Amino acid sequence: MDIILIVIRRLYVHNFRCLENFELDVAGLSSALLIGNNGMGKTTVGVALEVLQKIARGTNRVGELVKPKDLARGRTDVPMRFEIEVELDRTNYKYVLALEFPQNFKELRVLEEKLEAGGNAVYTREPARVQLEIEPYTLARLAGQGSFPIDWHLVALPIIQQRPANDPIFVFKQWLARMLILRPMPSLISGDSKDETLEPSIQVTDFGAWFSGLLALAPSAYAEIDSYLKQVMPDLTDIKNPEVGKDARSLVVQFAGNQGSLNIAFEDLSDGEKCYMICGLVLAANRAYGPLCCFWDEPDNYLAPSEVAHFVLALRKAFQSGGQFIATSHNPEAIRRFSDENTFLLHRSSHLEPTRVRPLNEIPIKGDLVSALVRGDLER
Amino acid sequence: MRVVNEDRPHLFVLPEDDANSRLANGFWLEVGSLRQMYVCPVAGGWNAVLNHFESDQIADMYRCSNRFMVLLIDFDNHLDRIDIARDRVPLRLRDRVFILGSLTEPEELRRALGPYETTGKKLAGDCRDGTDTAWNHPLLQHNAAEVARLREHVRPILFPP
Repeated sequence: MDIILIVIRRLYVHNFRCLENFELDVAGLSSALLIGNNGMGKTTVGVALEVLQKIARGTNRVGELVKPKDLARGRTDVPMRFEIEVELDRTNYKYVLALEFPQNFKELRVLEEKLEAGGNAVYTREPARVQLEIEPYTLARLAGQGSFPIDWHLVALPIIQQRPANDPIFVFKQWLARMLILRPMPSLISGDSKDETLEPSIQVTDFGAWFSGLLALAPSAYAEIDSYLKQVMPDLTDIKNPEVGKDARSLVVQFAGNQGSLNIAFEDLSDGEKCYMICGLVLAANRAYGPLCCFWDEPDNYLAPSEVAHFVLALRKAFQSGGQFIATSHNPEAIRRFSDENTFLLHRSSHLEPTRVRPLNEIPIKGDLVSALVRGDLER
Repeated sequence: MRVVNEDRPHLFVLPEDDANSRLANGFWLEVGSLRQMYVCPVAGGWNAVLNHFESDQIADMYRCSNRFMVLLIDFDNHLDRIDIARDRVPLRLRDRVFILGSLTEPEELRRALGPYETTGKKLAGDCRDGTDTAWNHPLLQHNAAEVARLREHVRPILFPP
């Protein structure tokens, strides 16, 4: 069986917070781990992806994506730049967005924007004009209609009219919008919902809506969720999502044992149990509407030590057959579950220096990795 | 909750170093029953594996008859380490303990077979499919007898039909 590759090949970020000339090459990796001390930029990589995802999800006002304070050390003389290259089912896509902050401006504006598919430009952008480069737009171009003016404070990707299904703009935007960028805050997750979504928020506070959206799209996804959760919570018997008002639902989790059964409102589960639930949805989502890319900032947070290895391995294993799982971690047990080839060390000597990234297989290590990390030997 | 379900047969791996740990990770990623396997933190040397086994694992193996154990070491061209290691395993536990490893430095294995994790996956595939594609490599073929025992006991646990 051919594996459908849906992977980020390269992420390049320049002049954004601590990321200057930052290049993360994860081509061909079904999973990858970012390690490094606090303040080294691991979460910022996720924030950069979040900026791109917001665009794909419809935010096009530059001022709602980044602020002047996001310029690295306030540098206004060079553009802020985001580039992402992805392989989506054998076609390479590249999206470029460069922003500048001219004198006397209150927010950044677009300097350059471009989407390529298969090495060909789909559209290009100068500050105030978008040029469409693919059929049927090229035909329109002959008639002088293949370009349109645009406010230089607006990103073009969300507003270019797309054709269904195989339009490269549609394919790229849907992939990016559905990417899972997760930094869950379990205490804020209630399990209540009023609608459905396949695009959960970073903190997964819309878990109930994601659960509803996933099962509405693919009812069989429940079997996948159930199968995973029963491994980590053997006494789980059912998850119900009853209506609790007009257009409102609230998740209830049922457990059973020899002494009877117990219904627990989702919001009353422990933080760790909510993370199991999120993991179950990630696994099921990857199968139901993936392959997806998942960036999970510290997936080991809130978990018991005995569960970390299995949690990480379950995610790595699921994404082996398509998609990509990228994690950050400080947890020794999580770090041990990755290898030299898919672990990247992020480091900077001070807050005045940019983050540097090195694959672990280029770093000589004395003794074992976790001990070297604890000693701080890797950063030298 | 324990790191594995002790009510069912399961496999622990004690790796000598990071290289062996990554081999074990690759193997683990291929098994069907993820939660019936656990790779312990690295011991820091082949003798440290044996010391850890004696100090921390023997009592647990007596307590838990469902536990199988792989001692994953480098032989550094000293195949007599198999006998040295086996002599430190109590007779009552020998059926459940397997001593495996590369003939030389793991770096040679990496040069010959590719990244450790990839090699671990190939070794798991051999165990699952009853083949010897990777295990037959000159750096690994001395494990044949132990691999045969491992297949007999562990395959049904990690690769359920």
